[in-house]
Amino acid sequence: MDPEPTNNNNTASASGNPKDESNLKPPSKDPKKKDDKKDEDLSEEDLALKQQLELYVERAQDADQGLQKVALESMRQEIRTSTSSMTSVPKPLKFLRPHYGTLKAYYDTMPDSDLKKLLADILSVLALTMSAEGDRESLKYRLLGSEGDIGSWGHEYVRNLAGEIAQEYSKRVNEEANVDDLIELVEQIVAFHMKHNAEPEAVDLLMEVEFLDLLVKHVDKTNYKRTCLYLTSSARYLPGPDDMSVLDIAYTIYKKFEEFPSALQIALYLDNMQHVKEIFTSCPDLLRKKQFCYILARQGLSFELDEEMCADDEDREALQEIINNTKLSEGYLTLARDIEVMEPKSPEDIYKAHLLDGRASAGASVDSARQNLAATFVNAFVNAGFGQDKLMTVTSEASSGGSSNWLFKNKDHGKASAAASLGMIDLWDVDTGLAQLDKYFHSNDNHVIAGALLGVGIVNCGIKNDCDPALALLADYLDKEDSFVRIGAITGLGFAYAGTQNEQIRDKLTPILGDPKAPLDVIAFTAIALGLVYVGSCNEEVAQAIIFALMDRSESDLGEPLTRLLPLGLGLLYLGKQDSVEATAEVSKTFNEKIRKYCDMTLMSCAYAGTGNVLKVQHFLGQCAQHFEKGETFQGPAVLGIAMVAMAEELGLDMAIRSLEHLLQYGEQNIRKAVPLALGLLCISNPKVHVMDTLSRLSHDADTEVAMAAVISLGLIGAGTNNARIAGMLRNLSSYYYKEANLLFCVRIAQGFVHMGKGLMTLAPYHSERFLLSPTALAGLVVLLHASLDMKAIILGKYHYVLYFVVLAMQPRMLLTVDENLKPLSVPVRVGQAVDVVGQAGRPKTITGFQTHSTPVLLAAGDRAELATEKYLPLSPILEGFVILKENPDYREEA
Amino acid sequence: MPTVSVKWQKELYPAVEIDTTQPPYVFKCQLYDLTGVPPERQKIMVKGGILKDDADWSKLGLKEGQKLMMVGTADEIVKAPEKGPVFMEDLPEEEQVVAVGHSAGLFNLGNTCYMNSTMQCLHSVPELKSALIEYPQSGKSNDLDQSSHLLTVATRDLFSELDKNVKPVAPMQFWVVLRKKYPQFGQLHNGSFMQQDAEECWTQILYTLSQALRSPSTSANVDTVKELFGIDLVSRVHCAESGEESIETESVYSLKCHISQEVNHLHEGLKHGLKSELEKASPSLGRSAVYLKDSHINGLPKYLTIQFVRFFWKRESNQKAKILRKVDYPLELDIFDLCSDDLRKKLETPRQMLRDEDGRKAGLKLKEKSSASADIDVKMSDAEGPSNARGESSKTTLGEGSDKNVQLTGVYDLVAVLTHKGRSADSGHYVAWVKQENGKWIQFDDDNPIPQREEDITKLSGGGDWHMAYICMYKARTLPM
Repeated sequence: MDPEPTNNNNTASASGNPKDESNLKPPSKDPKKKDDKKDEDLSEEDLALKQQLELYVERAQDADQGLQKVALESMRQEIRTSTSSMTSVPKPLKFLRPHYGTLKAYYDTMPDSDLKKLLADILSVLALTMSAEGDRESLKYRLLGSEGDIGSWGHEYVRNLAGEIAQEYSKRVNEEANVDDLIELVEQIVAFHMKHNAEPEAVDLLMEVEFLDLLVKHVDKTNYKRTCLYLTSSARYLPGPDDMSVLDIAYTIYKKFEEFPSALQIALYLDNMQHVKEIFTSCPDLLRKKQFCYILARQGLSFELDEEMCADDEDREALQEIINNTKLSEGYLTLARDIEVMEPKSPEDIYKAHLLDGRASAGASVDSARQNLAATFVNAFVNAGFGQDKLMTVTSEASSGGSSNWLFKNKDHGKASAAASLGMIDLWDVDTGLAQLDKYFHSNDNHVIAGALLGVGIVNCGIKNDCDPALALLADYLDKEDSFVRIGAITGLGFAYAGTQNEQIRDKLTPILGDPKAPLDVIAFTAIALGLVYVGSCNEEVAQAIIFALMDRSESDLGEPLTRLLPLGLGLLYLGKQDSVEATAEVSKTFNEKIRKYCDMTLMSCAYAGTGNVLKVQHFLGQCAQHFEKGETFQGPAVLGIAMVAMAEELGLDMAIRSLEHLLQYGEQNIRKAVPLALGLLCISNPKVHVMDTLSRLSHDADTEVAMAAVISLGLIGAGTNNARIAGMLRNLSSYYYKEANLLFCVRIAQGFVHMGKGLMTLAPYHSERFLLSPTALAGLVVLLHASLDMKAIILGKYHYVLYFVVLAMQPRMLLTVDENLKPLSVPVRVGQAVDVVGQAGRPKTITGFQTHSTPVLLAAGDRAELATEKYLPLSPILEGFVILKENPDYREEA
Repeated sequence: MPTVSVKWQKELYPAVEIDTTQPPYVFKCQLYDLTGVPPERQKIMVKGGILKDDADWSKLGLKEGQKLMMVGTADEIVKAPEKGPVFMEDLPEEEQVVAVGHSAGLFNLGNTCYMNSTMQCLHSVPELKSALIEYPQSGKSNDLDQSSHLLTVATRDLFSELDKNVKPVAPMQFWVVLRKKYPQFGQLHNGSFMQQDAEECWTQILYTLSQALRSPSTSANVDTVKELFGIDLVSRVHCAESGEESIETESVYSLKCHISQEVNHLHEGLKHGLKSELEKASPSLGRSAVYLKDSHINGLPKYLTIQFVRFFWKRESNQKAKILRKVDYPLELDIFDLCSDDLRKKLETPRQMLRDEDGRKAGLKLKEKSSASADIDVKMSDAEGPSNARGESSKTTLGEGSDKNVQLTGVYDLVAVLTHKGRSADSGHYVAWVKQENGKWIQFDDDNPIPQREEDITKLSGGGDWHMAYICMYKARTLPM
């Protein structure tokens, strides 16, 4: 991110290479004779200038100080007036080159005086083109010079100087020498850069000299945005802990200029609750606070406002309500009504079997439990959040048990998923959802009860309620006999309280981990639920409990696919927390060797998820390069780890996609089956064409597990997009695999994903222009992907409800503008592909190929919106999710 | 007495008074009046827990104006239906067949695709199946040799296996018996069985079946196979040199479609095949002379088999070579102009009726191609729907009754195609493409049945290295009397 110094070096070396000098030196000894030959092609004007300069050089060495001074000043005058041109070496500099050595020699003989300083200034400029690489003579003479206005010598000179300072600085730091004089110079240069729209250069220089704090002094209203933008985007490429300090500076600057929403975003990125509080306390405006709450709600954080942050009780309640996401369902339905997709869709509408004439599966006169289960999931995903569907809620008020018909078209554990699907259909609408689910609590079928419990969790996912209905309803079922019911309650709690770090939940769940009588599946799902509730918290107590549970497993348990959820639960505790995982990772080395490596991979992949840490990616790639006979499972998480770490930013993401292609070619089966899942995570809800093609190819792989993973991943990359191409691929796959029940099930699920929320959803854990990562969303996806590593045992077995873990990542991909009373307000917006404008000059367009819509609008992956009207001012610079609009006081209606 | 507000679903009941001296049950009864939810169904959230009926109000620390949430509905409790649905996964395999919509594939036992595809084609003739069911297990007739009997029994068993299974069947027994009866199919090459000509297999099996199913014990010496497949030909044999002329009749099981330079369509090939030159001793000339044989169809079968004469013996290379020429064939074949004058007369009335019906349908703008085919489809599926009832029901449409109940029209619908892919009869791959009772086409590639579209079936006409039709089986379109 710091190309400038190298550039400078290049120019310096080009002009200052030894060959040039040797050619040019002779004339300096005997100018007149040779110049006549060489200067034949010079115009008259140039010749005059050249002779003039030569005269100055001669005079500058004169004994008479007055004459010297005049000569030097004239020389300076000549140079200054010409440095404005950047296209070529300025003529005075060119003509003075032969005399550089002479002047240098003379300088050394001069006594200290103002004149000497003046000459040092001139030499410093001349060194710009003359000095050999690494000599840093420009800097040397600058320091010896008069320290006058640095900008007077032109921009190029300053840039060159900055480069030399960076080199000198690192040299001096190594020698532990004093750098004060450099810092002084740096301050001048930064001031100059900041004044001249060269913020990136200023930031780069300050990063080199490790003195970013200086920046705060120099930013002003006009340049702080560009500065911070550069800071935040370069932070991604910096090694820790530099990135944190860079972001801290950006936070400070934003706060200084009261750009609170941006400051809040950085605070969230840093996961620094102290900063968040500061923002609330330092912002006096209630409306803006409401916008902060929307941002917090999107991140999925549980955050309690106190009196300090908002003095008024009523206001605080209103703000808390926004953070609790209680209005999410309402906003989502507003969007749905505006786009006119309220009409419920049946699974058949998604399968579109009529487009596959002749190849559609023949008249299904008999119900297939597997197919009905698939239909249950498809129905749940497609109608998620709409509150109505064609299977579960239909005719519920009509004849008795009308809705239960579909429920009982599912077999055994399928009924659990069917009952839970009600939660999905009423997603985010706690009141309706709980009312709908209530009747299933009284069923005499344990599977139905388990499903209802899970449904309560789903419906509460991401929503917080003062009355804590989920905890109240589910707590009673935690110690039931039936392990199905228990898992339902445990997982439900995990969904409802993901990311809250609720201690009540911990107190209720940790004893289960230590319960010697609890079956393995209950323990596994408890670990996951705790991992979700305490995601990214590094909570010692929970970690201990899971570690003990892992150590207590018998040898045979450790071989079970479900056991692998335990390390995952542990890993979730450290999601994105990098080094904090070290202690636990050390402990994990003492585990039984069956699970040790798996645990290590899972912990590492979780801890570095979303960091873009290249070293970790290489570490995982190294793990995948090993070839084993069979039975090694740890490479699966390693492959997923590549995706989890690399998904942080676009460049790393593209590199990871290419690396994964190599794994496909050289990897063993256990790696190959994880690769599609990793691709699915990298491009989640972002159907990139080349990834789509790769997955389409893999979906016909001879190995069924690879094919199944590829099919699921096709669904993931198209999740919530209604992407026609993927939909077509899946349709063809459904006829291709019509006989293979397992694969067909996967195809159906993928179809459900693609049409999730009728195309209004996204699963991407990144939001706010790909800056923030929602830990709960990522956690949900990671659990699903880990479960998909062993499809047969988990998703195709009786634990298919792990598919509901996507609920944690489900968010409407919308922009909903609201007025000051938080009522939807329709305004025109331009929606287009986002353009990277970091470090670009002027005021470049931030979107390209835009279309104008009126809100609410859908935003696709990589889209950015901007207001197309001056009438309102958005309270958040990033137009995503809920954005409050304020009337622009300066707006005048055009006549 | 504190007052609280109670939230129930989307409604909010402000100012509900709580009498803290009474147990919470009383409060629930208050709510019952408001919401209609019976107290035992009410779940009231208090501090992350549910309010118990016998809880002590004072310990709950209720505040004035606190918001409570009540969950519960008066909805009827869901009960499992008396009779749960039957799932396909739970069904015995033979019942799954109905759900899958087509019968099983056949495993390749080592270059036996010719046999598999032949059997799949023949398996699609329900009348043959029912005739085989009639066939007695032990009571073989005197004029039938043991191996033929065994082959017939094996065929019967194989057919019923196919009907019963969803998963592919290994026709081991049949394969052994077939080799026993026809040792030429047991030829070995490099230690493995050789690929054979499917047409030969087809002919031999039909021959055996015709022998076996002719047993006098059933009824007045009816030859079921002949009735189903036999084509009566009347030929005028004419010698140009001597002017001799004679009429011959014969019965064949298949029509040959000869392929020459001029033949582009099945019809032309058939015409070609019905005219032949033969050299035989002429009684009048006293030497052998060239006779022209011009045949016409005099009796139509229910199933018309057409063989594309794609293979010929190439003397130079000493092997059967293949003609790759593209010969189109229709889904609906009319062979009226190949019939003899007598037969044409007989066909005229039913054909008129068929046309009338077609006209009516077209007038009603119904999309179905013809009523007759639809009729048959309905009838067939009615008759053959449940596999266990198949035997009796189709019996009525068969045997003696069949000729009297229905009239042939000379119009045929394609029901099965046996294709060959490769360059010679003894190599390459044979595949059967069979129309199922539900009207869907299935490609039986050994153990792998693949659904196909009807329009792709006519694309098997040759002219490349793709599968090309070798034997086509058409089913007569009939009219009820």
